[in-house]
Amino acid sequence: MGREVSESCVDGVVMEMVAAYCGRFYAAKPELAAGRIEAIGFQVGHQLSERYTMERPRFTDHLEAIKFICKDFWSELFKKQIDNLKTNHRGTFVLQDNHFRWLTRVSLDPAVESTDATENDSGSLGDSAAQTTSMLLYFPCGLIRGALTNLGIPCAVSADMSNLPACERLHDPLD
Amino acid sequence: MSDMASTACFVIVSKNDIPIYDAEVGSAPKKEDQAYQHQFILHAALDVVQDLAWATSAMFLKSVDRFNDLVVSVYVTAGHTRFMLLHDSRSEDGIKSFFQEVHELYIKIFLNPLYLPGSRITSSHFNTKVRALARKYL
Repeated sequence: MGREVSESCVDGVVMEMVAAYCGRFYAAKPELAAGRIEAIGFQVGHQLSERYTMERPRFTDHLEAIKFICKDFWSELFKKQIDNLKTNHRGTFVLQDNHFRWLTRVSLDPAVESTDATENDSGSLGDSAAQTTSMLLYFPCGLIRGALTNLGIPCAVSADMSNLPACERLHDPLD
Repeated sequence: MSDMASTACFVIVSKNDIPIYDAEVGSAPKKEDQAYQHQFILHAALDVVQDLAWATSAMFLKSVDRFNDLVVSVYVTAGHTRFMLLHDSRSEDGIKSFFQEVHELYIKIFLNPLYLPGSRITSSHFNTKVRALARKYL
């Protein structure tokens, strides 16, 4: 399946937004930049969830809403479903995506990696490279948080990328 | 279509229970005090809607409450926004289609990045279209 123009546009917009907030607006304060990017994602997720739930029946409980995020919402955004969903039955859900589309085009400038990093091991990243990649993940985290909040589940979403290009999302409903 | 003058009051209530849009869409001549009474009836029906909304996964809840000869019909979205219509027993299919088309208009407003979710809908375009839909389906 060929790559569609809109997908490249989204990649471009997200990368530029991250670069603008991290490089120009809040150059020395990555936490503020991260907060702003996450807030943008929140609003977009909020609106998208309203749009994607239009045709289908409403949700009767939290698990249904999470499953919707894993299947329909993820397919609309990333053209695939979540690969693995785990829960600790006490409110935390872990969504695992083994091939997160928005990170597949991330290239790391070797000059920026820290000098102690060992030779190219796809699992290990230098410190600054990890930070750059994690910045890109704040927007999707905001997207998920916005969608879940609109569906009635206030939560905190964090991303973990120990094995690129796999990605894990942790949701903690705040009850 | 019936030639009788119809009474109808349409209100959109956000998930924080704040009305974000209201309109008298019936074809009967409008009377000031009646408009207030209609809004009061709709707000009073919100409790009933709350109970019913969690009991089913359908969006269209049909008629949830009656007052004299007026009936309250409700349509709930996934984001828990309620479209409420006070009317005098029109055809259910027409009302369902009305709600579905208003839902589409509502999503267009919602997708507007300059629209703050939960705030009043002030677009005159939206107002015109809702009234046109009401004339068509009710």
